[in-house]
Amino acid sequence: MKKTVNIPLGSQHISLLEPIRFQFECENETIVGVDADVGFVHRGVEQACTSKFDFKQVGFVVARVCGLCAITHSLSYTLAAEKLLGFVPNDRIRYLRMLMVELDRIHSHMLCLAHTAENAGYEAMFMQIMADRELVMDIQEAISGNRVQFDFIAIGGVTRDLTPELAAMVHKNLNELSGKIADLTELFSVNWSLSLKYKGIGALSLEKAQIYNALGPLARASGLATDVRAETDDFPYEALGYEIVVEHGGDIHARNMVRLREIANAIAMCHNIADNLPAGEIMEKAKGKPKGEAIVRLEAPRGELFYLVRGSGENMLDRVRIKTPTFSGIPAMMEVFKGSQYADAPAILASFDPCMSCTAK
Amino acid sequence: MLKAMVRAFTNLFRPVRTVPYPAEPAPLPKDYRGLIEYNADHCIFCDLCEKACPPKSIRFFQHPDGSKEYRYNPWLCIYCGECVRACPKPDEALWQSETKSRPAVAADDVNEGWFVWEAACAQSREAYAAAKKAAKAAKAAEAAKTSKTEEPDTGEGA
Repeated sequence: MKKTVNIPLGSQHISLLEPIRFQFECENETIVGVDADVGFVHRGVEQACTSKFDFKQVGFVVARVCGLCAITHSLSYTLAAEKLLGFVPNDRIRYLRMLMVELDRIHSHMLCLAHTAENAGYEAMFMQIMADRELVMDIQEAISGNRVQFDFIAIGGVTRDLTPELAAMVHKNLNELSGKIADLTELFSVNWSLSLKYKGIGALSLEKAQIYNALGPLARASGLATDVRAETDDFPYEALGYEIVVEHGGDIHARNMVRLREIANAIAMCHNIADNLPAGEIMEKAKGKPKGEAIVRLEAPRGELFYLVRGSGENMLDRVRIKTPTFSGIPAMMEVFKGSQYADAPAILASFDPCMSCTAK
Repeated sequence: MLKAMVRAFTNLFRPVRTVPYPAEPAPLPKDYRGLIEYNADHCIFCDLCEKACPPKSIRFFQHPDGSKEYRYNPWLCIYCGECVRACPKPDEALWQSETKSRPAVAADDVNEGWFVWEAACAQSREAYAAAKKAAKAAKAAEAAKTSKTEEPDTGEGA
């Protein structure tokens, strides 16, 4: 006789943020087997990119793949298209793009921390982090003119400039935020009730992280030093004070710490960018039609984002392939569930920061 | 920990910030990306905005007399500003305002109505192109006819 019980989590569940369905095979309260199903929100974005839109418009289409990392998607596509056009952006464009990507990382990480706190039963902290997150959202809104869909990056440059007033706002808001992040770091490390839900729960060992190809904060929390920012040279990360953040616990607590330390690092980088912005035009002419094939890797808040763009010298592209970090991380995520308690599943899931609208697109 | 407790306690006495909404409009930042505005007097009808628009929310209707009419769907627009960047006369013919679009109501007929208009625009273009082609063919035929009728004359004359 079968000794295990199958318990589903999702595709709609009060503690789930996104449409994903897990089928947990449980022995008493312990999870022994996991089956995941993504793809509840398939929108056919890749097909639309190659059949409905010109290559100059595709950047605005892929920005709508994800609401949280909109800038990362449009930037990856733009970099790939610019590679095909043989266009090299000037330093001011690169710095402004990098500023927006790092601001995006800050608010995405804060959202994840808020949700992990919520799923640990800490509703007040969810509210507090989401309120603090508004500081970053305000900067992004002031720079790009919109709160969520920035449409800041276009082929050939960026659409808006960073004026001195905006730079002052970046400094003011980020200074205020860094104090709050320090408070949060303390709270996440010493609060007893949070430690019950976080410390030692959902651990991923370094070996498992390597075998199952973990990426992003999930890998860095297990001690696997992998970060596309350190591996590529599309942006001057080294010059602007980038440091790789690695923790060794592998549990939810370590993932939270990676995110908090990355936020602190990103804040420092944003200060540096706003201070040392080179002079130059913000939009340059990128001529020609995309021909050939280009691959771009970029560190999204959740890990490596991969874009393949193929064109044959026409307005319409032949292929746009998007591989999102959550999709690549699913094998490692499923491994983490095995052996943990069913009651911890929502908190573990939130700590991965899964983005299903990216994955299913 | 103590800090968090103090903060949680003081939060009880702070004013509630969400109460006035949605009775009053949400504050918009400076240089908010709002509705696209258009001035027909300065437009040169090059159609570049129509070609640049990612969701195709700008359409031109072709009248039989050769003039064009601008039509814009603010609810389809994504406010990216590509049309303004494509425009040869930005700020005069086409510009991005800081006005927020109002929500659509049933009377606006945004879905079906726009499809009807979109199809009408496409049809007007085709009809105009066909009419122009027919006129050109008629003109060519006329020219050929006149030259044909003239030819014998000149032949006889010679």
